[in-house]
Amino acid sequence: MQEKENVLRILEETKTAIDNNDSLKLKNLSNQTNNTASLTQDPDNIAVAVAVYSISKILERAEHYRKLPGWKEFYKIIILAINNSIDAIKKDNPKKLTESLISIRKAVSKLSGKLKEYVQDVFRKAQINKASKLYEHGLSMEKTASLLGVTLFDLASYAGQRPEISEAPFNRTLDVRSRIKTALDMFK
Amino acid sequence: MKNNKTEKVLIFDSSSIINFVLNGLLEEFRGLKKAFGGKFLITEEVKKEIVEKPSKIKRFELEALKIKALLDEKILEMPLDIGVKDQEVSEITNDIHYTANNTFFGRGNAIHIIDSGEESCLALSKLLGKKGIKNLVVIDERTIRMLCERPENLASLLHKRMHTKIEAKTDNFKLFEGFKFIRSTELIYIAYKKGIVKLKNHDVLDALLYAFKFNGCSISDEEINEIKKMGNKR
Repeated sequence: MQEKENVLRILEETKTAIDNNDSLKLKNLSNQTNNTASLTQDPDNIAVAVAVYSISKILERAEHYRKLPGWKEFYKIIILAINNSIDAIKKDNPKKLTESLISIRKAVSKLSGKLKEYVQDVFRKAQINKASKLYEHGLSMEKTASLLGVTLFDLASYAGQRPEISEAPFNRTLDVRSRIKTALDMFK
Repeated sequence: MKNNKTEKVLIFDSSSIINFVLNGLLEEFRGLKKAFGGKFLITEEVKKEIVEKPSKIKRFELEALKIKALLDEKILEMPLDIGVKDQEVSEITNDIHYTANNTFFGRGNAIHIIDSGEESCLALSKLLGKKGIKNLVVIDERTIRMLCERPENLASLLHKRMHTKIEAKTDNFKLFEGFKFIRSTELIYIAYKKGIVKLKNHDVLDALLYAFKFNGCSISDEEINEIKKMGNKR
């Protein structure tokens, strides 16, 4: 894994934030993963980014979720996965790290009923959110969709609603009148 | 005798077709094709992204079928339909893939900025250019446009967003010169001006442009206002 010191710090702070039920801190930590994920495009870095963002969203609604069957087991697996991930990075064991991160997704697939529906939706939206962040960072739409395993259909409408992307001054590479003229000339 | 030689082509990236489909504007798309008098092409890689992959996902199965219908009706065609073999496109795509993804570096990493569908559009454009066929790439996402039209802007964006020093192999920029791009917003402007859009309301151009923006076309509010000003001129 690349930039492992940074990811280790993020996971350790994630653990503390979960203990303190601090979803705001988790969202902040998740944002810190964007740079590393877009720069390295390392699958484990991306998985950490998605997991931390998803956990922040889940904790935001924990009051509701914790009443649902399966919550306790799911929560335990999340904590265990974070601990195992921290341990794997400290012991420089990339295989174990990947397994720990995968265990979070497996835990989601083992859920049932409403909790499964909600949590799956949170993870799917987290993937799209992270993809749009990577697009915002300058990677292409297709590249980010492929890194995050989302469709271009998902990403297009999500990214289209982010002013950080469409309004960025760097985007303007040709004046709009010239582009219209180019298009009109082709239709002559 | 009818001359079958293709003289002009619009090459569509996934992002622009997706935008027409998500906005339910495929009749306007068909109208544009009729008014164009040339070919609308997509590459094999783009077809995978907008037909094959989504056809396996329930949420987007219908959109995939709608795009497939455009292919069945020959509104959209493949390069082979004008005699360009996939192999020819693939060879140039590989070159573009390697160069584009080894142009910008941050903290020792080559930043992989683009993927095969987008690369194949550039490859096809280059190939058609060599054959003397006038062409434009229709693409709504911004990274490719920045890479080709203002690569220094892309370097600045990467630097600003990734908070790290970005080194660029500026010699590579040459490979990305000479491409011409439009977006779905420019196409819908033409559809509006030519009366292809059936909706009649004084706000229709505004509504169309924002619909494309919100479904992924990288266009600013300021640019939309400029297009609207042009649209309102008689």
